[in-house]
Amino acid sequence: MPYHEFECSKCIPERKKHAVTKGPGEDLTHALPLGYLNTIPGTISERGCAYCGAKHVIGTPMKDVIHISHGPTGCTYDTWQTKRYISDNDNFQLKRTFATDVKEKHIVFGAEKVLKQNIIEAFKAFPDIKRMTIYQTCATALIGDDIDAIADEVMEEMPDVDIFVCNSPGFAGPSQSGGHHKINIAWINKKVGNVEPKITSDYVINYVGEYNIQGDQEIMLDFFRRMGIQVLSTFTGNGSYDDLRAMHRAHLNVLECARSAEYICNELRTRYGIPRLDIDGFGFEPLSASLLKVGRFFGIEERAQKIIDEETARWKPELEWYRERLMGKKVCLWPGGSKLWHWAHVIHDEMGLDVVSVYTKFGHQGDMEKGIARCEVGALAIDDPNELEGLEAMYKLKPDIIFTGKRPGEVAKKIRVPYLNAHAYHNGPYKGYEGWVRFARDIYNAIYSPIHQLSFLDISKEDITDDGGFRTQRMLSDISLSEEVRKSNYMREYTGKLDIITPLREKSYPEFNKKP
Amino acid sequence: MADINEKIAQLENFIMKKCLWQFHSRAWDRKNQNENILRMTAELLCGESVNTDDPADRCYWVDAVYLADSYRERFDWLASMGKDEIRELFMALRERLDYVLVDGSLNEELTDPRY
Amino acid sequence: MNCELKTKDRTGVINPIFTCQPAGAQFASIGIRECIGIVHGGQGCVMFVRLLISQHFKESFEIASSSVHEDGAVFGALDRVEQAVDVLLMRYPDVKVIPIITTCSTEVIGDDVDGVVIKLREELLDTKYAGREVHLIPIHCPSFVGSMISGYDTAVRDFVRYFAEKGEPNGKINLITGWVNPGDVTALKHLLSEMQIEATVLFEIESFDSPLMPEGNHVSHGNTTIADLKDTANAFGTIALNRYEGTKAAKYLEKEFGIPSIIGPTPIGIRNTDTFLKNLGRMTGKPIPESLLFERGRAIDALTDLTHMFLADKKVAIYGNPDLVIGLAEFCLDLEMKPQLLLLGDDNTAYAEDPRIRALQENVDYDMEIVMNADLWDLENRIINEGLELDLILGHSKGRFVAIDHNIPMVRVGFPTYDRAGLYRYPVVGYAGATWLAEQMANTLFADMEHKKSREWILNMW
Repeated sequence: MPYHEFECSKCIPERKKHAVTKGPGEDLTHALPLGYLNTIPGTISERGCAYCGAKHVIGTPMKDVIHISHGPTGCTYDTWQTKRYISDNDNFQLKRTFATDVKEKHIVFGAEKVLKQNIIEAFKAFPDIKRMTIYQTCATALIGDDIDAIADEVMEEMPDVDIFVCNSPGFAGPSQSGGHHKINIAWINKKVGNVEPKITSDYVINYVGEYNIQGDQEIMLDFFRRMGIQVLSTFTGNGSYDDLRAMHRAHLNVLECARSAEYICNELRTRYGIPRLDIDGFGFEPLSASLLKVGRFFGIEERAQKIIDEETARWKPELEWYRERLMGKKVCLWPGGSKLWHWAHVIHDEMGLDVVSVYTKFGHQGDMEKGIARCEVGALAIDDPNELEGLEAMYKLKPDIIFTGKRPGEVAKKIRVPYLNAHAYHNGPYKGYEGWVRFARDIYNAIYSPIHQLSFLDISKEDITDDGGFRTQRMLSDISLSEEVRKSNYMREYTGKLDIITPLREKSYPEFNKKP
Repeated sequence: MADINEKIAQLENFIMKKCLWQFHSRAWDRKNQNENILRMTAELLCGESVNTDDPADRCYWVDAVYLADSYRERFDWLASMGKDEIRELFMALRERLDYVLVDGSLNEELTDPRY
Repeated sequence: MNCELKTKDRTGVINPIFTCQPAGAQFASIGIRECIGIVHGGQGCVMFVRLLISQHFKESFEIASSSVHEDGAVFGALDRVEQAVDVLLMRYPDVKVIPIITTCSTEVIGDDVDGVVIKLREELLDTKYAGREVHLIPIHCPSFVGSMISGYDTAVRDFVRYFAEKGEPNGKINLITGWVNPGDVTALKHLLSEMQIEATVLFEIESFDSPLMPEGNHVSHGNTTIADLKDTANAFGTIALNRYEGTKAAKYLEKEFGIPSIIGPTPIGIRNTDTFLKNLGRMTGKPIPESLLFERGRAIDALTDLTHMFLADKKVAIYGNPDLVIGLAEFCLDLEMKPQLLLLGDDNTAYAEDPRIRALQENVDYDMEIVMNADLWDLENRIINEGLELDLILGHSKGRFVAIDHNIPMVRVGFPTYDRAGLYRYPVVGYAGATWLAEQMANTLFADMEHKKSREWILNMW
């Protein structure tokens, strides 16, 4: 029986079709959870809102932009500094947030005037920034302010600024995903094609659906640069507003997070004939295959292979070290939308982890198809999970670790399951070869934490044997390893530095001559 | 020697585990992906050349090269197959994928008329 | 006049000091046992607030959403409230108190939450849940009014107003703490216990610091019970420590049940704690015991080691909850420090009438600015563009980049303080709080001196 019914959700039978256990010999036509439906009220769901999907996930990573929310201050406060999308523009987009501070009188009489004043004030406060994105919120959507009209007015009066308006209030869809869609379509409708870029290479891509969490984008940018590929724009991690207006000039769209950004890729394909190539930047094998595909598209696969060989040689021995010690450990892979499928197969293949469950907070059925296709038989796949279901699943599945958000991680902590932040990582970035080892290391340190081990001990009941004042992770992890593995000269622990992104920003790249 | 269904299953399982091109979000898009990429993969496995002038074709082709290379590495039984057999196999594979991913799929968004 | 009271001269907000009203109501609700609130609005209104609270405490709290989607915004979403209540009651058998917290969206669309609560009481609760104790409490707090501060104040009042029930006098006082940390509640209860005063404390949040145990799931939750809330009507006095976070409830009890109330002062620092104890004594007739004199003495001893040597004339900027800001400013002045800039983060018109602010305006003898409706750009802009020089910043973690980017030492206080470990365990109130605060400020200044190699050798011989 592939559909999974939670005890705690028996009273809301609609939930039954939202969870599936992958059975042996089954394919996706046997069972697939429903997805992207309205949330059942009162379930304590993990979902957020469409404003978040537009403003926080996709909009604000743009680094050279004033991001202003047209509404009361709460929406902007709540989405300020709460994701780790860094940039090489001194993190302007992390440090600054703007709101028009809509008050009761504006609800009654309209807030367009105050919006205009805000726009002018914001540009005045930061005279070096000439680009702005304005996000509608629930309040201003309901009072019907015409934000586009005000933006157009200002752009007329201040010809050196450009403003993008995104109308994606919180209630516009069952979850964050509604916001992704709205901002994708708004951006291509209003902004793509407005700027002609400087082309510096024969090989030009847009890197789409990548938000530079802890520097992921910069890791990948380094690979592309080493291949002589021009990343015309990144949608939107560490991304620049004007670069993104030039997306139409790329030869290829390299897409990572299809959940949040396949929409703009599809439109770019339809309107400009730019093909869409879905890749995985996580994991040695998927990343290598992805770099080769991109290289091959441009006929420069040997450059990709060089990077693959170098990086694999450098980092494989360290990945293997962790793999030996993570083998068979059970994990609940519980992210927001696409990491369930980016990670499900490769953390199993390359780190030996047993993925006992995958879930998606705001994904669609397509994300579930990908996730279930990639996970192993027996995994429990849940759509739009809620807190009681999460607890029930953890009690039943007894994972050794959980990859999820910060707050559900606290829920797991209470029942002695360590968590890693799947959205924002701990010691990331996790993309790339070195990043993947950093991920393995974080998992290792979480599972083999001596304090974590102590949390299971009931000192009122159990005999405390006096066998020392400490444990190390290795004492815990190496118990069942063979002597050969323990003493291996080939494998070693992570030898990288704390900060691997800053050095990349200072790196110089070889010149590849453009074809005449 | 594995019969044709087992072979299809092996090819299909590899695609499902390792590839993403088959999961576009509309039925017509998936059928398009299946047709082009599997056709090219078959052509490559038959030693035929593939036209890659058109960017869309180039994009299918890079996924097809990955598939062909991976299949050759993993499935010895491919080496002993003739061109007609390979073409027949891949037509069956395509039908199978069309079924799993489109006609038999439980993904209700596939038929959404908006893109 | 050296101390100027002014209002931010910009229309919009750049780097807000506060989030909006529903967050305050949600924070109040988690202090009550067996209470799970339903935030009636978009999912973000609850998801982000749960995240914010969990950042501060490193714990998760249970709050639900009515999940208003597009159709709700167009046609009204009261059915979502009904469904949410039903679903919550079915799946959480221990839940008794369900505040229905409105948001800007549902206030704008005009959902009659009071009406739907009546309907639910008459229908759902009377049939499907007959015999089960359920309290549905509408709390109106749209985000386009006030801020999280007023949302908290409103919610406390609404809980008290709903539950307070005249019975036998209980020989207790009501202590409405305001928006404080578990460490503050511990410090306050300690003072009460030393004075042998029994109190109903709103809210009992010491249990927010919950343990990780070998068995079970010791989820953080508040410990104020329904009985406690009912019993507020039977106290012989109410002290609301924070004028802007509890006065509404205190005044309600006074009007409805004749319970005299004392508002403030926020007991930050020696002087305000002295006043608090005197007020307690006056209200209850209990004397101040020797043990507290010794505590006070120990605190003064600790402070004396710091003030004229290290803290005197240090220029400070303070932002956060208004009572906290005012209390900290008063304490800093007692410590010989010089608060330069106080930022009050919302447009509450009552600030201009606040006697404590008047006192600052009248008595501060150097240049000081108090800005109302302020945001954090008011702080940063003065540093960058107006030559404001500071030795220290006191505020919450959302302002951290001001300190980081401009190399100004900062002690995190208030809410939220997620970028330092464990701050919620410590008090800023009482004698213990005075000591902790002063020592935190001193140690932070010391670390900064060493980092900047600025007379760091002075600490060799202290």
